[in-house]
Amino acid sequence: MDKTFAARRRRDLIIAAVLAALAALAPLFVKDVYVQNILILTLMYAALSQSWNILSGYCGQISLGHALYFGIGAYTTELLFTKFGVLPWFGMLGGGVIAALIAMGLGYPFFRLRGHYFVIATIVIAEIGLLLFQNWEWAGAAMGITVPIRGDSWLKFQFMRTKLPYFYFALALCCLAWFVTWWLEDSKWGFWWRAVKDNPEAAESLGVVVFNSKMGAAAVSAFLVAIGGAFYAQFLAYIDPESVMGFQFSLLMALPAVLGGIGTLWGPVLGAAILIPMTELTRSYIGGSGRGVDLIVYGALIVAISLALPQGLVSLFSRTKAKNQIKGATR
Amino acid sequence: MTALLETRGVWQRFGGLVANSDVSISVGRGEIVGLIGPNGAGKSTLFNLIAGVLPPTQGSILFDGDDVTHMPAAERCQRGIGRTFQVVKSFETMTVIDNVIVGALVRNTVMREARRKAHEVLEFTGLAARADVLASDLVPAEKRRLEVARALATEPKLLLLDEVLTGLTPTEAQTGVALVRKVRDAGVTVLMVEHVMEIVMPLVDRAIVLDLGKVLVEGKPNDVVRDPKVIKAYLGDRHAVGA
Repeated sequence: MDKTFAARRRRDLIIAAVLAALAALAPLFVKDVYVQNILILTLMYAALSQSWNILSGYCGQISLGHALYFGIGAYTTELLFTKFGVLPWFGMLGGGVIAALIAMGLGYPFFRLRGHYFVIATIVIAEIGLLLFQNWEWAGAAMGITVPIRGDSWLKFQFMRTKLPYFYFALALCCLAWFVTWWLEDSKWGFWWRAVKDNPEAAESLGVVVFNSKMGAAAVSAFLVAIGGAFYAQFLAYIDPESVMGFQFSLLMALPAVLGGIGTLWGPVLGAAILIPMTELTRSYIGGSGRGVDLIVYGALIVAISLALPQGLVSLFSRTKAKNQIKGATR
Repeated sequence: MTALLETRGVWQRFGGLVANSDVSISVGRGEIVGLIGPNGAGKSTLFNLIAGVLPPTQGSILFDGDDVTHMPAAERCQRGIGRTFQVVKSFETMTVIDNVIVGALVRNTVMREARRKAHEVLEFTGLAARADVLASDLVPAEKRRLEVARALATEPKLLLLDEVLTGLTPTEAQTGVALVRKVRDAGVTVLMVEHVMEIVMPLVDRAIVLDLGKVLVEGKPNDVVRDPKVIKAYLGDRHAVGA
């Protein structure tokens, strides 16, 4: 039995490596900048959703306020860069650490809340963050910050002539978020998180310190999301509160995971791979009318998928496996 | 030899309701003790006080020589108190083996060891064949068994069983009884809350009867069931006179 388990873990790792290698080759065939753009966003949202999934999927603490950490990553990077000349790489790490600390600071009061009350708190806090940044003169207030262009360089992580470096960074970030999830899934933390999600009281009786588990999940999740925010800021070369901290980011982190399969290893990647191109394509092909037809189509597609596969898209792959398990058990 | 568990003058009030009043009991190492009593006697409250779900209004609880009165449940588990729940609380989206691993992680920090321990416990409790099934797919009797397995994986010194034998078919109950004996023979002290007298009485070394929040009688199961006070508590005055 141990062997099949280890084999499954190894198989996941191999599939991920193959997919990552294939993705790395994609730019050889995709020369169109518009399509490259979609690929970059898809990878970024896959990474973000994977990170969101750690707190909300595995640990079960549904957050609809992760835009806050995304924005903090973006702002930390650009404020340090424009005001103090700190390289974005350090800003990125700094943003991650600050976001993790804020997540734990917020977790201290809010992890006492359960279910819907927790979700509402996360929405409200993210809105407060947005308002603070909109009114914070030193940070550019509603005008935002334009990142000064100093020529293409990996050191300053900015590229005007090509999008490929962003593509590879997004791919690396996606791999990192996936690998962290894979690694944590078979660790004490991973088990604690799932136990906390399923039944906190029982978890507590088995020696799980529920509060600390949630804090750990929040910190890892916020850290990775902030790295994504820092990347996005460099990618756009311009940020303002609405474009890095708006509510839509919270939604776009949650949706791929929910659609793909919440609390699963592959759900976020799968969800993002379908959802993000769909978002972009509906927008560019039928979004021009200005009547919001693209949003109607987009919404209808999401509803259709969730009705057909309430367990998420990953259930397409695991359904047969689950059946075999039951069969094997009754034999 | 000091007792493994001792409650000293424990009171628990919920507003105007007194659920436990001045309860002092002790459980010795290696014993199987039954905590019985009619509905509303305060058994579950006392059970939860010992497990650490809430602190008592007054009094103290000693475990293995230490005062654990205000210790949170997770820490009590680390100290060696394992428990099951009356209404089963399996981790439904996890497999049986994963459920047990959560418990095993208390004493095994390396995943491979925790997994091995969990398999060992599944063998011990007779759930090995169901290791890879989702907990939500188990039948009720198996879920009860999983509760016990999970608690055993934490390698407790004291196992608290909350009505694990209630609501089972006679055959299932007999397997349950055998398991409890096996647990004790493995060196674990057992304190069990139970309703079904005819199953519990042959199993336990000692019975403590609670009624209206107080300890009514305590002693050998045979003496306890014949005690007029116990009969009165369960069946009312008329029957007590007859006894």
